[in-house]
Amino acid sequence: MTDSTNRLRRRLIAGGAGALASAGLTTLSRAALGQTATFELPFVNGKRNMVAYSEKRPLIVLTSRPPQLETPFEVFNDGLITPNDAFFVRYHNAGIPTSIDGDKHVIKIGGNALGKPFELTMADLRRQFKPVELLAVNQCSGNSRGFFSPRVTGGQLANGAMGNARWVGVPLKDVLARAELKNSARQVTFNGLDTALFGGGDFVKSLDVNHALDGEVMLAFSMNGTDIPMLNGYPVKLVVPGYYGTYWVKHLSEIEVIDQVYEGFWMKPAYRIPDNDCACIEPGTTPAATRPIGRFDVRSFITSVQDGARLRAGQQTVVRGIAFDGGQGIREVAYSTDGGQSWRGAKLGEDLGRYSFREFTFAFTPDSGNYDLRVRAWNRSGQSQPMDPLWQPAGYMRNVVERVVVSAV
Amino acid sequence: MKSNAFVATALGAIALGLGAIGVADTKTITLPPDGVQLKASALPGYAKAQASCVVCHSAEYMLYQPPAAPRAYWDAMVQRMKVVFKAPIDDLDMPVIVDYLVKTYGNEQPK
Repeated sequence: MTDSTNRLRRRLIAGGAGALASAGLTTLSRAALGQTATFELPFVNGKRNMVAYSEKRPLIVLTSRPPQLETPFEVFNDGLITPNDAFFVRYHNAGIPTSIDGDKHVIKIGGNALGKPFELTMADLRRQFKPVELLAVNQCSGNSRGFFSPRVTGGQLANGAMGNARWVGVPLKDVLARAELKNSARQVTFNGLDTALFGGGDFVKSLDVNHALDGEVMLAFSMNGTDIPMLNGYPVKLVVPGYYGTYWVKHLSEIEVIDQVYEGFWMKPAYRIPDNDCACIEPGTTPAATRPIGRFDVRSFITSVQDGARLRAGQQTVVRGIAFDGGQGIREVAYSTDGGQSWRGAKLGEDLGRYSFREFTFAFTPDSGNYDLRVRAWNRSGQSQPMDPLWQPAGYMRNVVERVVVSAV
Repeated sequence: MKSNAFVATALGAIALGLGAIGVADTKTITLPPDGVQLKASALPGYAKAQASCVVCHSAEYMLYQPPAAPRAYWDAMVQRMKVVFKAPIDDLDMPVIVDYLVKTYGNEQPK
């Protein structure tokens, strides 16, 4: 991959998303006027439309139907919480719910490894359990897939299929405590209202029973202090802190405790990674064995300056960014202004919890010239980011040390 | 999966003009039209793809793949749509659709 394609360079080609939003035009009236803002992601074949879906500002459209929407990267510099109307969207099947009663919606709890199947309405879920609150990042498994080299097929995303939100809900453990799990319980499966139009490939995910009962896996009904947007899973979404978004089932409607390992399409062969320490293989080869994707690896991004930015020579700039991992918490972020030859420690911001984005900053006073800025984070168990990208055939888990090249004049 | 919710129609892209939402606790959304269409082609697979592929999903799924995507990829995807997702594709149409896809979106595009 060339340096230029590896950079986060974004150009609004026609119109500005902000201008469209502030003009208050609906998607349909914009379409009628023939005004479609487009956006160029920095890899081959990266031109995208920007459209405002219901409850969303204009976002980068990966697919129209079912909707898959990417957050423009600039949003991550606006604050550590990703606003609901900017939060990425990822569906798998086109039969998506467009109208749901948020009180009457029912979650069915069953399966062959529990003694007491039962049903919960949303009103029950809100009233009969003690809610908990958690700040947690959700990230698509294939976030940044478009940067893989050699390229891999699938959803060609830049770095915007992630977001950090404040979730309020009920621990799954508390709900399942009513179900009388049998000793044979091995996994818990999760299904939502979205359907495959011809009956095959329904989106069902599973977790090992011990994980499901860890007290952190949550049935969330609130996101950043309000209802979850429909396209993010209204009225209830499974939150699996530290785990890739594939497990965060939307419009949750069925939970089953079962006595075996679930092997539906979306657990096998989909969403698998090479079964080795790095979850990586030589480009172009096939893994000898695979396992289901799990926790996030460590990532960090500069958010306050973009690749290609021009800074004032001799003037101090405070560079800002975000780091996160799969739940150990970020221990350290280092930065380099010389392409990784020398490193210094960045200053960490407030700790908002081990599943949240963590802010970092560093002051930088450039002389005139070009600077290759890098940031690298470590979590509390010492895991970090590779200087050169790792590769795997499905294009998941990219976490290379990012670079932002700026010039000072 | 059984769902009593309204689902987006297979053709999507419709604004129903639902107007005022009757029940306070019911959230209702509308979805915008597809942003791109299949690329027109003289290849016989074009009409077949319109009948078999975009019934379920929009054309960005094809358009945004890396242009180096080889025939084996397109073949595997069409097979997956039939075998996993039960897309009603006639066996005889499958190689015709694959041929259109790889020559329109993949590594057999005319230079």
